Amino acid sequence: MYTPKSAVIKEIISENHLVKTFRLSMVDSQGQTIPFRFEAGQFVMLSVPHRGEAPISISSIPANPSFFDLTIRKAGLLTSAIQEMAVGDHLGVRGPFGHGFPLDDLLGKDLLLVAGGIGLAPLKGVMESCLSWKKVKKLTDISLTLCYGSRTPEDICFRATIEKWQQDGVSCRLTVDEADPSWQGEEGLVTGLLADQSSSGDGYALVCGPPVMIRATIARLQAFGWSDEHILTTLERHMKCGVGVCGHCHLDNTMVCTDGPVFTLSQLQEMKVAELG
Amino acid sequence: MKETTVILAKDNLQGLLRKLGRDKSLVAPVTNQWGDTLYTEITDIDGTELDLSKQPQASLKGFFFPQQEVIQTYDTTAGYEFTPQRHIQPTLFFGVRSCDLHAVLYMDMIFSSPERDDAYFARRQDTTIITLACTTPFANCFCNATGSGPFMEYGYDLQLTDLGDRFLVEAGRQQGEQILQAWGHFFEPATEEDVQLQYQLSLEAGGRFQRKVEVEHACRILASGEVDEQIWQQLSARCADCGGCAYVCPTCTCFNIRDAQQEPSKGERIRSWDACTFSGFTRMAGGHNPINSDHALQRRFLHKLKYDVEKHGKPSCVGCGRCVDICFGHVDITTFIEAVVED
Ligand SMILES: Cc1cc2nc3c(=O)[nH]c(=O)nc-3n(C[C@H](O)[C@H](O)[C@H](O)COP(=O)(O)OP(=O)(O)OC[C@H]3O[C@@H](n4cnc5c(N)ncnc54)[C@H](O)[C@@H]3O)c2cc1C
Ligand code: SF4
Ligand code: FES
Repeated sequence: MYTPKSAVIKEIISENHLVKTFRLSMVDSQGQTIPFRFEAGQFVMLSVPHRGEAPISISSIPANPSFFDLTIRKAGLLTSAIQEMAVGDHLGVRGPFGHGFPLDDLLGKDLLLVAGGIGLAPLKGVMESCLSWKKVKKLTDISLTLCYGSRTPEDICFRATIEKWQQDGVSCRLTVDEADPSWQGEEGLVTGLLADQSSSGDGYALVCGPPVMIRATIARLQAFGWSDEHILTTLERHMKCGVGVCGHCHLDNTMVCTDGPVFTLSQLQEMKVAELG
Repeated sequence: MKETTVILAKDNLQGLLRKLGRDKSLVAPVTNQWGDTLYTEITDIDGTELDLSKQPQASLKGFFFPQQEVIQTYDTTAGYEFTPQRHIQPTLFFGVRSCDLHAVLYMDMIFSSPERDDAYFARRQDTTIITLACTTPFANCFCNATGSGPFMEYGYDLQLTDLGDRFLVEAGRQQGEQILQAWGHFFEPATEEDVQLQYQLSLEAGGRFQRKVEVEHACRILASGEVDEQIWQQLSARCADCGGCAYVCPTCTCFNIRDAQQEPSKGERIRSWDACTFSGFTRMAGGHNPINSDHALQRRFLHKLKYDVEKHGKPSCVGCGRCVDICFGHVDITTFIEAVVED
């Protein structure tokens, strides 16, 4: 339960000056790839040599068990050390842990992702799953929307993915807090993009970002008629074990690592979380 | 009378422990040269004086869940390999107080879910626990209010009750019965009077508690309502963030995990005690802390008196009173319980 298994870095994508995406495969002692199955929204406990462990969301689509992506922002010791690592280097992985997004409920429904910064990482796999479902089932009448806020144009992550989504018919709306001369798009907080995002009734809104952003976004969505059961978010907490024992991620009687990290707004309201103010 | 209830003359105790200590390490309360009474590993039973008159200052927690332990070593020479470290030491614990055994039974449960915690159970497996019922509770004890003493009703291998010149010995679990069978010549049959006397002593012990802590009343209030914000603020203001309460607490099991590099390509993964009352316990990279400092004590008290009651049907405070002694701000759990009940 606490012993990490070996993973090897297959590919590294630089998202911006602080963020890189690492494509990993789990490997056995002979270096052979072994399958790794997960749900969108789940996380792993990632070990980096001499730096300990950190919880990191899986940012790729769960369809292919031969690899998975972790998108990591430089925040402290561990997350800086990994930025120096190269393809072929080994990492330690425990998990996957937690409950992901309820994909069975989401497939085939209208979907609105509202993300701030690296908060898009845990939501990305959901969009990819819904998009491929839409294609396979030839569902022309469902709408997939991304509202994505970054601090500056430089901070935007997943550019290539977003471009591909756009070509596939996802309505992608980007905004930055501080524009620079190169920026042609919207300026302002991500909540500013939500003006016409009213609920279709059975659609779902998925929200992830810094606590203030989550708070403001949820307030907006409620005002636009989204029901508390159809607003989903994923929480970030200090975590050490990932399996509900170490106590660090406590929220009243709830352990975010095992009971979450994905919660509906109704669940959050019962827990008096900091994200709701 | 149960066959599993017998008498051990006090003169026979040393001899029995000498035998029992042959194939297991022996741990029992000893008062050291500085006057501290601690559960201590005894290598020379004939040269060591046990002290069964005082409450050991530390519980058994550290024997199974050490303050710091290496749970894995790792090696990055070829890849990145982790090797679990397990410490197995068959041990007989003697003279354990009821509160402390209740706490071990609680830890057994905590470390069994969602999976068996190998590091904990390596130390815990193959241990025998012989308790000593408390005929005279100590100054801060309130185990009568938490349902965890002063006598045990289940969970012990053997329970001893001091009847003056002899102990009444009851076998609870199989390992205790095996001791009675294997070392029968140390024991004599118990009489009806012995058992009556033990009953009498247990009643008297119940009347000797110096503190009346209304645990059940507080749990009922906590189950149904909110705690006044002022109570949290007042208690948190006097908490010095030292973690002492959680460290001496026999049922506080929160932990931290960190790595310590030993050589360029080798190191250890270390698990150590942590305390939910520490301000850094919930702080995240970048400094954001979802728990505000007025609520630093909330988790600890509600976990023991509310959430564990919801989850397991009883509070996880065992009433040992150690936190009362250690807290110089007087914001131990009894202060909280009194504040809740008075409010
Ligand atoms: C469920 C979940 C998913 C996450 N997903 C991502 C992701 O996809 N990408 C990403 O970049 N970041 C993610 N994070 C945040 C990431 O875990 C932290 O940035 C990281 O732990 C910081 O570690 P550090 O050693 O670099 O920072 P330091 O500041 O050096 O770490 C200090 C200490 O605090 C602990 N710590 C600090 N913050 C956290 C935290 N949030 N959770 C647990 N322990 C913490 C560390 O273990 C370490 O011991 C996620 C966090 C959670 C809880
Ligand atoms: S709390 Fe109860 S069992 Fe523990 S030492 Fe005091 S009287 Fe004995
Ligand atoms: S991370 Fe340890 S309990 Fe959640």
